Amino acid sequence: MSPYSYGRPALKGSVDVQLQTAFSDGNWQTVVRLAAKRAATLKDPYYEAVKICAESQLDGTAKKCGLLVAVDELIKNKKTPDIDTIELYEWACRDFLGYEVEYADTLGPLRARWAKAYPGSSLALQCLQACLENWDLVSAQQISTSLDKTYANTADRRYMFWNITLTFLLSISPQCTNASRKVYSMLAVRQLERAADLTENAAKLESTDRGLLTEEEICLYYRVLLSHGTKEEFISRLKSPKLGATSQLKAGRKVLLCESLDALQTWGEWDLIYNLCREALTLGLEGATTPFFLCDLQLWRKFASAASKVTDSESALGEVQALLKRYIDIKDKASEMYKKNLSLALLETTFRLPAATLNPNHDNAGLSPRVVQIGLFLDQYFERLSAFDDVKSYVAELGFEEVKTLMETVLPKIPDENADKGRQTVLKALECKLRYLLSTCPQTLSPQPSVVDGQIQDKAFQCRLCNNPASLPCETCLKKLVVDAANTYRQIAGDKELLGSIPRMDKDPRLDLALVMGTSLLKLSGLRPRSSEASQSLWQDVEPGLFLQAVLLLDTQLKETPGDTELRLLLVQLYLLLGCASYAHQLWTPLDVKRTIQDSLSPLFFDRISTLSPGLFQGTRPLMEPLRSFYSHTLSDKSPVRIWDAFSAGSYTSILDMTEFDGKLRRSCTLMMTLVEERRAIRCYGGKIDCEIEDHPLTENINDETTLVDKTDYGPFPNLESLHGPPIHEYLRLGPGLSNERSHLAFLSEQYLDLLAYKPPKDYKPSRNTNDVALRDREYTLETLSRLSNSLTDFLHHPSTPSRLTAGETSYYTILSLLAAALLVALSTPRSSSDPVPQTLSSLTQSIKSAFASLQTTTPLIPTPQKEEGKKKPLPEASCIATLPEMPTLACIRATALAIRHSAGFVLALDEQDRKGGLHRDVLAQMKVLHELGGKGVGEVKAAVQTVKAGLGEAGWLDRVLDLVFGEEEEEETEEGDEVTRAVEEVVGGRAGAEEWAGRVVESWREGVKGWGMVRME
Amino acid sequence: MANFRRFRPDDLNKLSKCNLDPFTETYELSFYLQYYAKWPSLFQVAEDQHGNIIGYIMGKLESSPDVYRFSEHYLPWHAHITAVTVAPEARRLGIGKLLTEQLEVAADANDAWFVDLFVRVSNHKAITFYKNMGYSVFRVVKDYYGEHSTDPTLLSEDAYDMRKPMKRDVKKEHVREDGEKHEVDPSDVW
Repeated sequence: MSPYSYGRPALKGSVDVQLQTAFSDGNWQTVVRLAAKRAATLKDPYYEAVKICAESQLDGTAKKCGLLVAVDELIKNKKTPDIDTIELYEWACRDFLGYEVEYADTLGPLRARWAKAYPGSSLALQCLQACLENWDLVSAQQISTSLDKTYANTADRRYMFWNITLTFLLSISPQCTNASRKVYSMLAVRQLERAADLTENAAKLESTDRGLLTEEEICLYYRVLLSHGTKEEFISRLKSPKLGATSQLKAGRKVLLCESLDALQTWGEWDLIYNLCREALTLGLEGATTPFFLCDLQLWRKFASAASKVTDSESALGEVQALLKRYIDIKDKASEMYKKNLSLALLETTFRLPAATLNPNHDNAGLSPRVVQIGLFLDQYFERLSAFDDVKSYVAELGFEEVKTLMETVLPKIPDENADKGRQTVLKALECKLRYLLSTCPQTLSPQPSVVDGQIQDKAFQCRLCNNPASLPCETCLKKLVVDAANTYRQIAGDKELLGSIPRMDKDPRLDLALVMGTSLLKLSGLRPRSSEASQSLWQDVEPGLFLQAVLLLDTQLKETPGDTELRLLLVQLYLLLGCASYAHQLWTPLDVKRTIQDSLSPLFFDRISTLSPGLFQGTRPLMEPLRSFYSHTLSDKSPVRIWDAFSAGSYTSILDMTEFDGKLRRSCTLMMTLVEERRAIRCYGGKIDCEIEDHPLTENINDETTLVDKTDYGPFPNLESLHGPPIHEYLRLGPGLSNERSHLAFLSEQYLDLLAYKPPKDYKPSRNTNDVALRDREYTLETLSRLSNSLTDFLHHPSTPSRLTAGETSYYTILSLLAAALLVALSTPRSSSDPVPQTLSSLTQSIKSAFASLQTTTPLIPTPQKEEGKKKPLPEASCIATLPEMPTLACIRATALAIRHSAGFVLALDEQDRKGGLHRDVLAQMKVLHELGGKGVGEVKAAVQTVKAGLGEAGWLDRVLDLVFGEEEEEETEEGDEVTRAVEEVVGGRAGAEEWAGRVVESWREGVKGWGMVRME
Repeated sequence: MANFRRFRPDDLNKLSKCNLDPFTETYELSFYLQYYAKWPSLFQVAEDQHGNIIGYIMGKLESSPDVYRFSEHYLPWHAHITAVTVAPEARRLGIGKLLTEQLEVAADANDAWFVDLFVRVSNHKAITFYKNMGYSVFRVVKDYYGEHSTDPTLLSEDAYDMRKPMKRDVKKEHVREDGEKHEVDPSDVW
């Protein structure tokens, strides 16, 4: 059994059978007795180690301490223990690692000591593996140095590169002291430079030579150079005949080129990028590589972009076009993918050409070469699912005249005369998407005077497409777009031939049309990005009818295309926004977000979920268990997952990338979100939290200095927006996305709540002098409060923080920072009837009261919908549903109120416990006020939940929702706005078709409120 | 629209376009990283202009354990395709074929005798795809899959073990014409 996996090791071969058997059976009392006997008889210290290890398996703290003392003695003793003893101790210490025993201070150095003494033994390699798997880089580096010296100039080149890789890893690791960092950095660079020089100068390199031979070795060199070398060294080597990027390409190695271009781009070395791309692409034409080996779009884009930035850009761009033409001439031999890449490269090049080159005579500005190229591209690819995404950024770059020509002249001519209805419909759907895109582009607007014909204009612009006063997006254009898209949708739905042709298409055109209609309706409803600046109430932002029409329409489409993940994700977000968390969860589940992809995708559902719908956590299976298991399982070891595999295989760049990835995973915002959301939900229902968040194994290395990383993947969202505005997911989130700032504040706030909730374990028996214990506890509390107060304040004062939080969250964290400061003052103030309490305490309590009052007033518990100017229809009197999307804010009010109450309660309880006198009476008075304030606040939240619950319990909700969507049945219809409603109605099958949907929405609201009804309010 | 390059661990945060598709399996992190650690040149991705992964192939290089050297089922040094997938939006562009060809290049560079893979016998589309690329059925692995993909009444499904000879196999010793007639048990497959 290998020692590093912590299976019970076999005792060494010379041990007698009786002891071996007792040990393998785990018969520890017998092992202790027999080992003691053998130690006395044989005078072999190994038996003493066996005895100590066996004792450590018995109950009792003293026995366990014996093991730690023995290990400590081995460290202090400069002798080299035998490997069997080390393995035995390593196994026995397995449960103490990371707590009482730091591997890097104990077993790692012992292993390094042994490996240095016996570098030729195969067990030295095991020592290296053990140190790596415990991520003790200092010892691992020392062992690798010994191994490298022992096996220098052998055919196994790994020893040399393990040493270099570990020296480099150590130089960038927190395990390295600042004093040593420079030495290790230089050591790694110099060793690799020597190897590189050897390669450059040798006519032929043998595997026993210490030069750079394999792709991994060469890439490692460049990675180290990039990190620790100079730009000049990097560039100089990149041009070299043997180790340069071009020579590597000739050997079929592409990695170096890709990585170098990225580095050169960050340095703005456009001449070099241009030359490198030209050389690389020429290789394919000259037969030095397979022709299309390098025909990646990224390479062409970098080539064109660099050409537009070099000194003689005109001639450089001419060169790009000439090379591209040579490729186009042979494109018949290429696969579809490369053909398309070449077409896109042509588009890219055209858009990078200066305007004067494109159209020297300035004639027919509309039908410019750029429009012609887009037309040619779409002519070939309009039926492809990715066609819109391919041309989107180029269309958004066009001038207005070009846009007009594209939409009015070029697009209609794309399908040939014989094009079937299916192809025409696909084009129609693409046209709708482009129209939507253009509604987000500023070139479709022109400024208009603020007063026209004596009338003050409320819109600052005029739409150049429809000539109506407009802002971005133009409402008139969007309404027309909804009506047109709905017409096309109905035509498809009513045409059997068309419906029959859908399975043969890349994508169901109804899906595109539904997305266009849905997002247009969302924009028309007034929905804005859910940033910290957005008004907190969804219903104050949006017109309910149009918003609900969007949701209904997209939901209807999901029944037709249930497998479409873009649409499903969009709906998940919309239902969360609407306060229908249980229904959102039903839609989320089939996406089967599991295992590895949870880190990047889970925030799309779980972020803020405990504040929106704590009831979801009350299911039979813990809601976030798979996510928690993923982290616990993946990060259980200190080393990056599978790192030894990469060492064994000699995959040096993999080692570096895996280490970096592991570091980010341990600092993941999603990880912090998982821990915090679960704890919040547990507290909602009075459950028991397993351990303090700071003691949780997953937060072991997180402190204020740690930058937490948000890796949320928004890739699967449909995005019809141009780059001139925010992407669609920013409109749909409950608030700003995950961030370093919010994650830290959440982490600190949980630590504060842990402090308030702390109770000594039941089996804890303080020493006789209870006064000392109380004093030490008080000291610890004050230190913690001081630290938390400072850290919370620091994070709240980061310039970026306000934009990372909702208004409710800002209030919550601000009040927590004030509470920590107030408690610090309260508990530090000595009881003395003569001295008044410091003024700071009353200032702090006053600030807490004002901040809490502000939180309550800016976000009324039951918002009263008001008709805003310009809005068609406010939410009706049924104000209880207005609260549903605001549950996260309600949760903030509850959490804040409880924090205030519990903080005051914490101080008052300490006063009661302190038999010798307690706290200053003014402090107690202020705390009683806060205690009451918190209690009152919670009571108001409770009342609000009951009001909503009672309101939703009334009959007639189905009709009320349908009335919101379509208007009341007896209501008179008004012109254009209702043209939109009629269009939607026809797509979704009218009120009758929407009844089931309305039922699901109401049911989900009720489920959410039911969960809230069970939340503890004390 | 696509770039082909070697996989990087950060790509795991950009897999949604492929892995939210129900036909693509999501594995544990250690599974992906094992491939990246051991055979980085056989783990290739295709990415779109926004950095989303729209296709990938994972493969490995290995031979059967030495203890089976004299078994009739012994597999000499070869490359194996473990997974290949293309996002729905990037299909019909030949990305799967290009990824497979790249793996074959890596297999040749590592002196493999052949490239092999397993496919459900009911997956006619994939079988045709591989046949067009020069793969042929080498043997049928009975009841290899624990469930049937199309017939819920069946408890298992056979797999075709398909192979394509690489440059090293000049005499085409490691492929056979009548592979469909050679049936083996899952226990014969390592």
